[in-house]
Amino acid sequence: MSTPARQDALVSYQGHYAGAVSRFAAYSIDLVVSTAVFALALAAISWGVRIITGHDVSWNRSNIVVAVIFVIWQFVYFGYCWAVSGRTPGMAMLGIRVVRADGTILPPKQAILRSLVFPLSFLLFGLGFIGILVQHEHRALHDLIAGSAVVYSWDARAAHLRFLARQAELAEADITSG
Amino acid sequence: MRQAGLTAVFALLDPPPVRSASHPWRVIAPDLVPGHTDCVNPRDRLRAVSRRVTDPAETLAQEATERVIDLVVNALDVNELAARIDLNALLSRVDVDALLKKLDVDALLDQVDLNALLARVDLKPVLDRVDVNDIVQQIDMAALVEKTDLGAVIASSTGGMTSEALDAVRSGAVGLDKFVDRWVRRVIRPKQPWPAAPAALLTAQAES
Repeated sequence: MSTPARQDALVSYQGHYAGAVSRFAAYSIDLVVSTAVFALALAAISWGVRIITGHDVSWNRSNIVVAVIFVIWQFVYFGYCWAVSGRTPGMAMLGIRVVRADGTILPPKQAILRSLVFPLSFLLFGLGFIGILVQHEHRALHDLIAGSAVVYSWDARAAHLRFLARQAELAEADITSG
Repeated sequence: MRQAGLTAVFALLDPPPVRSASHPWRVIAPDLVPGHTDCVNPRDRLRAVSRRVTDPAETLAQEATERVIDLVVNALDVNELAARIDLNALLSRVDVDALLKKLDVDALLDQVDLNALLARVDLKPVLDRVDVNDIVQQIDMAALVEKTDLGAVIASSTGGMTSEALDAVRSGAVGLDKFVDRWVRRVIRPKQPWPAAPAALLTAQAES
């Protein structure tokens, strides 16, 4: 359970550059979600083909078509989410969002550019992500190219109030029982 | 002897004239022998005549005066008249304290129908002029939630398991972010402090 001082500090972090752990956790969730959706879509297509044609369709990881479709799906997933709301489902869960380098809302063009250059950060064993740790604005290679940044955007104030409310409720329960 | 008796008789028949004290040349007529005309004052006739003349004249004068006043009042431009009045000078001569001391505010308020008054008041323009954001900024929400039942309301309305779990995950992630960030800064020792947030968001935070 967080302490009140800790919660107060979290309130002040709203709008600050997001750190590596939050971003990595968000990306992990997005990877799981996008892969699950992709797999469900493939399963739905297989089921539809089997219903219509009567033939079974098997998808193989080594199938180049599937790999290409998966890569395109990844572009669509991240690009669409960033262009529409500045956040993917994983980023929404972790309470972070993509903005322009100056902190304003990311335009769709920049969001699409960010999704296109995002794979570059994976090159050279992921050295492009080092910027999240050592760059003074916590910007990775794809952020620097696309002119974007990632900040905390979750409603920490509401969370703080919820925390205080729970504390007050627990205190009242203690008084009532004691 | 005989002469003296005659003089007395004539004196009775023809008494000497009585003269006025203020006007010695004016002779006041002696009272005649009392008779049936004693109750008739000869001046009454003159008075009656003058009353018949003066009463209509008085009525006429009154009507003329009222008419003139009406004309004057209608001809007056009250706004211009009010504009010429130096209210400051007028009010400076008013002893407001003494006036207020004489005022029974309770009795005054008893006579005020607040419902009727409020029904006539258009609150929207008044509320438009109120800076609600400024008022809200002055509220210590944390203290409010801790000291009132508002906390229970918030907890019951928004304190679901999902939000609690999300709060915990986010808080933990932010804590780890700061932990990693501290260690990285210890290692690379930046010469200048790193900015905490993008410029636009820092400005927005400062304004709020």
